[in-house]
Amino acid sequence: MNVLFAIATGIMFALGVFQLLRRDLIKTAMGFYILFTAINFLLLAVGAFDGQIAAYVDANNQTAAQPSDPLVQALILTAIVISFGSYALLTAFIVVSSRRFRTVSTDGIDRLQR
Amino acid sequence: MTIALIAAIPFLLAVIALPLRRWLSTSMQGGLFAVSLGGLFVFALAQSGAVSQSPLAFALEWVPQLGLTLSFYLDGLALLFVLVVSGIGTVIALYTGFYFDDAAKAGRFLAMLLAFTGAMLGLVTAGNVLTLFIAWELTSITSFLLISFYGDEKARAGALQALLVTGGGGLALLVGLLLLGGAAGTYELPQIIASGDVLREHPWYSIFAILIFLGCFSKSAQWPLHFWLPNAMTAPTPASAFLHSATMVKAGVYLLARLHPALGDTALWQGALVGFGLITLLIGAALALRQNDLKGSLAYSTVSQLGAFVALIGLPHSEGIKAVMVGILAHALYKGALFLTVGAVDHATGTRDLDKLGGLRGVMPGFASVAALSALSMAGVPPLFGFVAKELLIEASLHTLPLLVTLGVVVLSAVFTVGMALILFWDVFMGQSRAAHSEHHLHIPARGMTAGPLIMAALSLALGLGIGPLVTPLVQPAVGKEISLYLLPPGGINEAFILSMIALAGGTLVFATRGIWRAWALPTLPTGQDIFQAVIRQTERAADVVLHSQNGRIRYYLIVILLAVIALMSTAGLQNAVDFTRLDVSINGATDVLKIMLILLSIGATFASIVFRKHLLAALALGVAGYSIGGLFLLEPAPDVALVQFLVETLATVLIIMILARTSEAERMAALENLWMGSRTGLWRDIAISAAVGIGVTLFALAAVTNRPDQTTIAQWHMENALPQTGVNDVVASIVTDFRGMDTLIEISVFGMAALGILTVLAGARSSSAKPDASEADADETPIYNFAFSDALNRFAARVVLPVALLIALAHILYAGVAPGDGFTAGVIAGLGVALWYIVFGYEGTRERLRWLRPAAMIAVGLLIALTNAALPLLFDRAFFAFTLLPVELPADIKLASTTLFEIGIFSTVFGGISAVMEALTHPKEVETL
Repeated sequence: MNVLFAIATGIMFALGVFQLLRRDLIKTAMGFYILFTAINFLLLAVGAFDGQIAAYVDANNQTAAQPSDPLVQALILTAIVISFGSYALLTAFIVVSSRRFRTVSTDGIDRLQR
Repeated sequence: MTIALIAAIPFLLAVIALPLRRWLSTSMQGGLFAVSLGGLFVFALAQSGAVSQSPLAFALEWVPQLGLTLSFYLDGLALLFVLVVSGIGTVIALYTGFYFDDAAKAGRFLAMLLAFTGAMLGLVTAGNVLTLFIAWELTSITSFLLISFYGDEKARAGALQALLVTGGGGLALLVGLLLLGGAAGTYELPQIIASGDVLREHPWYSIFAILIFLGCFSKSAQWPLHFWLPNAMTAPTPASAFLHSATMVKAGVYLLARLHPALGDTALWQGALVGFGLITLLIGAALALRQNDLKGSLAYSTVSQLGAFVALIGLPHSEGIKAVMVGILAHALYKGALFLTVGAVDHATGTRDLDKLGGLRGVMPGFASVAALSALSMAGVPPLFGFVAKELLIEASLHTLPLLVTLGVVVLSAVFTVGMALILFWDVFMGQSRAAHSEHHLHIPARGMTAGPLIMAALSLALGLGIGPLVTPLVQPAVGKEISLYLLPPGGINEAFILSMIALAGGTLVFATRGIWRAWALPTLPTGQDIFQAVIRQTERAADVVLHSQNGRIRYYLIVILLAVIALMSTAGLQNAVDFTRLDVSINGATDVLKIMLILLSIGATFASIVFRKHLLAALALGVAGYSIGGLFLLEPAPDVALVQFLVETLATVLIIMILARTSEAERMAALENLWMGSRTGLWRDIAISAAVGIGVTLFALAAVTNRPDQTTIAQWHMENALPQTGVNDVVASIVTDFRGMDTLIEISVFGMAALGILTVLAGARSSSAKPDASEADADETPIYNFAFSDALNRFAARVVLPVALLIALAHILYAGVAPGDGFTAGVIAGLGVALWYIVFGYEGTRERLRWLRPAAMIAVGLLIALTNAALPLLFDRAFFAFTLLPVELPADIKLASTTLFEIGIFSTVFGGISAVMEALTHPKEVETL
């Protein structure tokens, strides 16, 4: 399975980068979002255990079967939150671009040139 | 110990000067700091007895591992400079109290001035060359700040030039001092001075000597590096009087005098110092005559005087040292007083132009007498202090230099200086009152303003008359040998006296014919100014070249970044070769089949989001991809992550739809027009880059997947220790709130900052509770999308959903440890409830109805709770983030622990953050167009 996850990570990255390179700022933001997701794929893939149950212990600190890797889950949780924050900030900049430069295309913001 | 305080106290005063300016008037500030610096002066004076016996030293370990110490050393030479700096500083502070009309400005100025005083005192009391260098650079920086004080273009240009010249010299000095320290085997000044014989014979002598000369010449404005000093006259006049005449520009003279026992009396030393010093002496004196600006004249005459000091230090057999020490005192007194007089004249008439001034004796009698005494001292008229200094200068040069040089340079410069001194007094205070300032409303200076300059002028007279008993005890320890000072030569009239009188007569002649001298076109000598400007021009040209590589196209930058990513990824993949034996291609059972289908679904949906030419469809396709990944998390099984993924995906879709509503459709369609075909090659290039990134990442991922050890990881440790150490069954929750609590703290800080950033760029920097200006919104030309899907059913739904969402959020917080969901989930759920409000009621409606909703405050409170929770254990001598379980029995299996508090903090931050985003996106404020 982990091969599939690794390849899926690569494909998602490629798709994200392609989307990132569009001239349309909204699509660019979406590209970032795809990259954020792709990273989570990778984190999930490197999970140490092939888990059958969620990472919970019972009152005696025991698990009934092999639990899934809790560490990568915690990392993914953190990643999701930060991704969303960044994504929201990016979209806010799109609104600013639309208001200030009257465009949502990267080529339209050539005023960035000096 | 006490001698380190000499430099430290002004810095402390500088720190309190800034807040004090709010409460104290200008004159009170000036008086307070004058008293403080005066105290320092008296303290230093009290040390003179001890210092003349043996120097005081104090060392403070700084970085002992590197052998660095901050050491201080107070001998006769240092003490003389300490007295000059603190004494003149006292007068300057007092004067500043009347110079500025604005108390805040005066406070700012005094703070800089005091910081400079500290740096300068540190420079002269430094006990090793590294301490000295730091103080040296600090004086350059404070000088920069003071020159640019008024902030206009000329001031900034002058300040930058001064900083670049003295800073460049400072770099040379640093290298020189390090080589010197290496050659001497110590950085401590007393030992360096003692090892003069070794140093003069050292093979690198000429290298470090020249580097040190560069530093000293740039600081003390020697030709051809003198040009920055006249341009530094943009500083407020008290600063010019203090830094650029009495103290800072003498730092180079000080260092040369300091190192003279170690490096002096070689051919190089004599040639460089006497050569450059004499050229500077003559050029400065000649150019001073030709300035219209009074401060320009004073600046050039200072340059001239500095040249004299440098030349005197270069004279063989230490003949000139006595003349330097006396000259520094005399010059500080008369030139400082003249600067302050010019400042008062400028203050009163609004001009410093010689052609526009005249006849001021009637309105400024106090300053007229100050100017008269100081100008006579400058001219070297007996019995004033300046006369003694001039006598010593001529005498020393007569003893050591060829007569022709003495006559042609030293006496000629004295002639020019006498002429200049007479012009400074006569053309400003005597003669006819000019039209220019009779129209100008005269600001008669406050009585107190005259006090300091009067003291200085009186000292010029008193120290001249009492030269033997008053000055000898100060100068003798600095010179380091028995000296005798006298006003009139004891053995009757000698050659120096005759030459001095000739200079006075010649100077009077120059004064009488000043019209000719001032108009005569002198050939101008090349100065460093031209080189300086050429260097600056070339630097700017190089900067242009660099700027051209920045073409401002976002996609270009992205491509550069991505290519770097590919390179990084590939190296990582190559270094950790993919372990093919551990590639797991097995598919076990229905779960894996489901996983594969979800992977394919998410890839397919993502691809669809790329090809869809409508933003809304693309956003929805992206949502589908996100939910598929949520499903994958569920199958992992990772219920906590899946829950967050579903919620965030929902929120992200809401967000993108709101963005679509806030940007005009025409703009979006225009951006989509060139989605694929900017050019055919562009499309293929993009595909190639994407594919390369994809392959690189795949390699990296394969390496990562196959190189991770299984059972020995920390994950196993987390499984075993979650319940015993944090008391929760949910291992993921224990990692998030405890084991990796710091991560989470940073994470919510980032989230809070992002939300506040959005609020700032979209809703303005105003507080989130403020209502937008209604008229501003009305005047808006572009229609703002109205979110109000306001029908009765929607309004009812919004009203019902929010309390329910808050209730669910509460449950998530309380059961974070035993069930999926945590503070973050709670925040998103509550945030979605609020998002519905903003959509149904719009910005105004929501702000009116939900007055308790204060997004920015909620973020702040949340972060504060989280930080408090983390820091609280420190009070009980426990670690940051230490876990505490409260021994409280609550119904329904609720446990209260420190993590609960943390969850509440997370909830508040996230809830506030999402509300902030929603508020910003619906905010009707128009962002101003550039």
